[in-house]
Amino acid sequence: MSNASGSSTPHNAGNNAAGANVAGPDVAGMAVALTGITKRFGAFIANDGIDLAVRRGEIHAIIGENGAGKTTLMNILFGLLQPDEGSIRLNDEETVVADPAVAIKAGLGMVHQHFKLVPSLSVADNVFLGMEIRRHGLIDHAAQIARTRELSERFGLRVDPTERVGLLSVGIEQRIEILKVLVRGARTIILDEPTAVLTPQESRELFQTLRSFVADGMTVIFISHHLEEVMEVSDTVTVLRNGRRVATRPTVELSKDELVRMMVGREVSFDRRPREPQHGDVILEVEQLWARDDRRLPALRDVNFTIRSGEVVGIAGVAGNGQTELAEVLSGLRPASHGVARLKGRNLATFSPAEIREAGLAHVPGDRMVRGVDRNASIAANMLMGRQHRAPWSRGGVLNWNAIGQNASKLIKDFDIRAQGSGDAVKRLSGGNIQKVVLAREFTNGADFLLIDQPTRGVDIGAQEAIHDEIMRQRAAGRAILLISVQLDELAALADRILVMFNGRIMGEVAGDDADEDRIGMMMAGVAVPEFAAEPA
Amino acid sequence: MNDRLRAVSGQIIAVAVALLMGAIIILMVGESPVRVFMTLLRGAFGDQAKIAGTLLQTTPILICGVAACVGLRGGMFNVGIEGQLFLGGFAAAWVGFAFPLPAGIHMLAALALAIVAGAAWVAIPAYFRARYNTNEVVSTILSNYVAVLLTSYFTIFLFKRPGGWSETPPILPTAYLPGIFDFSRLNGGLVIGLVLAIGAALVFRYTSWGYGVTMVGSAPKFAEYGGVNVKRQGFLVLLLSGAVGGLAGGVETLGVHHRFMEGFAPGFGFDGLIAALLANGSPVATIFTALFFGALRNGSLLLEVDTGASREIITVIQALIILSVSAQVLVRRRGDSQAGERRWKF
Repeated sequence: MSNASGSSTPHNAGNNAAGANVAGPDVAGMAVALTGITKRFGAFIANDGIDLAVRRGEIHAIIGENGAGKTTLMNILFGLLQPDEGSIRLNDEETVVADPAVAIKAGLGMVHQHFKLVPSLSVADNVFLGMEIRRHGLIDHAAQIARTRELSERFGLRVDPTERVGLLSVGIEQRIEILKVLVRGARTIILDEPTAVLTPQESRELFQTLRSFVADGMTVIFISHHLEEVMEVSDTVTVLRNGRRVATRPTVELSKDELVRMMVGREVSFDRRPREPQHGDVILEVEQLWARDDRRLPALRDVNFTIRSGEVVGIAGVAGNGQTELAEVLSGLRPASHGVARLKGRNLATFSPAEIREAGLAHVPGDRMVRGVDRNASIAANMLMGRQHRAPWSRGGVLNWNAIGQNASKLIKDFDIRAQGSGDAVKRLSGGNIQKVVLAREFTNGADFLLIDQPTRGVDIGAQEAIHDEIMRQRAAGRAILLISVQLDELAALADRILVMFNGRIMGEVAGDDADEDRIGMMMAGVAVPEFAAEPA
Repeated sequence: MNDRLRAVSGQIIAVAVALLMGAIIILMVGESPVRVFMTLLRGAFGDQAKIAGTLLQTTPILICGVAACVGLRGGMFNVGIEGQLFLGGFAAAWVGFAFPLPAGIHMLAALALAIVAGAAWVAIPAYFRARYNTNEVVSTILSNYVAVLLTSYFTIFLFKRPGGWSETPPILPTAYLPGIFDFSRLNGGLVIGLVLAIGAALVFRYTSWGYGVTMVGSAPKFAEYGGVNVKRQGFLVLLLSGAVGGLAGGVETLGVHHRFMEGFAPGFGFDGLIAALLANGSPVATIFTALFFGALRNGSLLLEVDTGASREIITVIQALIILSVSAQVLVRRRGDSQAGERRWKF
């Protein structure tokens, strides 16, 4: 069924509709043309005969679930990996991209997800790091600043070239990374999940910039799994699934539903979940909570909220605005500097993490690879954490691995974790299944308060839906849920109320039923929106 | 299972590579590698007495190795086992010669004080680690020098036996560890070592406490999140590791030398640490790696008699083993992450 829109169609669609918009063997006039790229890691085929043709002057989105092969493909294009089969043409020239230097020389530039900037240097110095403009053997700062300013004005990348990078926000850091790529002469720019760290407004500005690149005759390759963005900004979409190319189509011909179907291979819904209103007892109260971050700077400033049983309260905000610290304070991993958090009436301030768990907390941590699991341990051992002192898992301090293993096998079945058995090492599982291991452990603790941080970050769309289902089941079971997420659509689908955090403060509250992205986005950027602030749910 | 097989075969390859490089060095000093290795083998396992000798050398390495394993499990790198061994050895000797007690009880008291001495000696670095996050590798290494010189001071100035040697008076026979054969000094210490190794493995695998400690060692943030008191467990584990290190010294004193003397057990603490690393921190596997190093030590005694090679060659081989084991860790890490991901991050 999926192949109806699969690899044979784009050919025709391209030829008939857009003329030059062709993927496949006819690759003349393309900025980038990959033919039959195959890459294996052991028995695993990451890329399986992928053809990709990117027309000069277009924004070409590449979408697919985790593990679909997007990153591998881009690494091959940029010379970070070598393909086992297939060929690469850059600007109509057969090229062996032996390393990134070759790619850069051919006019390719890549903006990675993780920025590599020197915080103590100025913007201009960062942009020219490693290729400084020199005069009489010394760095010509004036010329660097002028050149940076010229580029930033031309493409709408608003930055002050003289400012120190350490003082700037993530959104601006990304602009600097783009400038770095530009001064190295890139005409084709690859962006790997560029909007993951941005507010909706910043994303829109980025799209403006991308359009100005295209207007300038440049080419943009844009990796994403954010469908709205892809629909909004791209000219052409290539969908990858399980290492194969499912389709390459002009964006105008596609609907969001169609894209999801091609990515996942089935129907998936992310509409707002239907729900019964519930008004249970207050489970968690947070009053005037302050806390410091690792640099001893205030990270939480006067945070107040309550959560009742059977209620999902969402925390929206750009990453790094105090959400991590909030989760850590509530789970006892970080002390509050002022204020109280009460779980079922008991002040958590004097409790250790173990005692808070005992008092009724289950915690799905945001950085699950570090906090949520021991990657090298088995699923069974991972599911034991937090209950190793309790019967039936242990008696008199002696573990009962039989009971532990049986419990793990049951949870693997209940939560549909794709693993061979409870003895599998967690590191062998996919991101979504690792998250399910964490959920299975935490949701079966019998806790009344669920602290859920970024439940679907880096998780496949199919698994996302299952995780959302599970959260709604917990809500129906009367749990009080704090859902921290940087994805607005996730909050809109699940939360009864959404609190927006900026710079450690709650900027305001929005009812989940009319979660307006613009209002939330304003608050995420620090603009108080009075008519929406502190609206009762 | 597959993982374990890979780990074991990796270590074996590392040792093989080290032996191969050792062979090249033996060639360079003008000896025949075959002859040297055969001599080593004969010296280690040639007859009953030699096997007993090998086991005698194995005993302190094994106990020190278990000490290191205990630390490694909890993520603590106790490089101070050598010092704990010296203090434990001295403490046991002191009880042995200064306090006449009934047989059996005397021995147990001496071992108990050896354990306390080892634990007390590591308590200083352990406290600073827990309280101020001081790197325990540095502080335990440094504590070795203090321990060795401190015991020398005790021996030479405070408790010196009349006569020429720098040693304490002999301990009373009531404190001797029972021997196993009459033709060798091999003694009950080996049994203690084996029991400790297996006991440690069982504790780590089958107790709630051992589970928590193992998680502190392999994923500290995960353990903290799950409610394990990471600092306290780290402190306890170092203390326990030091206690076992002290016990190794006590066993050596009560079982072999029957007195404490300067430089009474050189290098056993470090050999134990290497044995534990080669065993990937598994106490049971340490039984075999300790035997390997014990055999090297004992076999080397015959080297200078029968071949032209110096017995220092085994120190060279040990160093090569350390190198190839660490190199192998690097190679394995690279195999774990995807090549692209690694280069992605430069």
